[in-house]
Amino acid sequence: MAVSSLDGLAARLRDQKVAAVFVYTHEAHPGEHYPHHTSFEQKLAHAREFQRRFKVQRPILVDSLEGTCHRAYGSMPNMCWIMDRAGRPVYKADWTDAASVERAVLDLFARADRRRDTRLPSAAFKVELLESRPRDQVAFMKGLEVAGPKAVAEFKAWALR
Amino acid sequence: MDLTQAYNYDSFVAEKIERWLNFSASPALGLPAPDFELQTLDAETTRLSAVWRSAAYTIIEFGSLT
Repeated sequence: MAVSSLDGLAARLRDQKVAAVFVYTHEAHPGEHYPHHTSFEQKLAHAREFQRRFKVQRPILVDSLEGTCHRAYGSMPNMCWIMDRAGRPVYKADWTDAASVERAVLDLFARADRRRDTRLPSAAFKVELLESRPRDQVAFMKGLEVAGPKAVAEFKAWALR
Repeated sequence: MDLTQAYNYDSFVAEKIERWLNFSASPALGLPAPDFELQTLDAETTRLSAVWRSAAYTIIEFGSLT
């Protein structure tokens, strides 16, 4: 379940030439109210309902019914990527956390400033970082109730295994 | 069971969900990432590349209502 936590950040970054979109995937926790998708029209309807219910401000783009895009990027239920203009990932996280994304974007701009100041060519390298986020289990379970009792029961069973 | 049916699993149970969680094999940082066709909520076709070409950086969040 993805709550639109990035909308505020996206609005703040719009003036800095940062775009933000939401890619709609399969239902992570299908339930009575929002069951698994059996047609693209149903998936599109769920995406429209997601926009309406959570007042999502970012453009929502709907993946194919078979999840071609989602699967190619690792299929995590609420992952987040930052791409440069050439389509190269400069940040990827297996979960979305607005604070982490904001730090990454600010760092990208700081590095660009540094490059301009030093006037030296840059050499790319990769960093792995273990982040953490506040885990509000009450809010999470409340969100699951939107899908229906089946989604709540299945998540509880999965968490207890 | 075909791919579409398996991807759109009907229950959140380990044997149906864990096969899809494959972040360690996702596209590498710094290399061109795969581009795909996507639909807007108005059912217009666009591409991921059209989005990332429009800005210095593009934040892409994946998710669903549930």
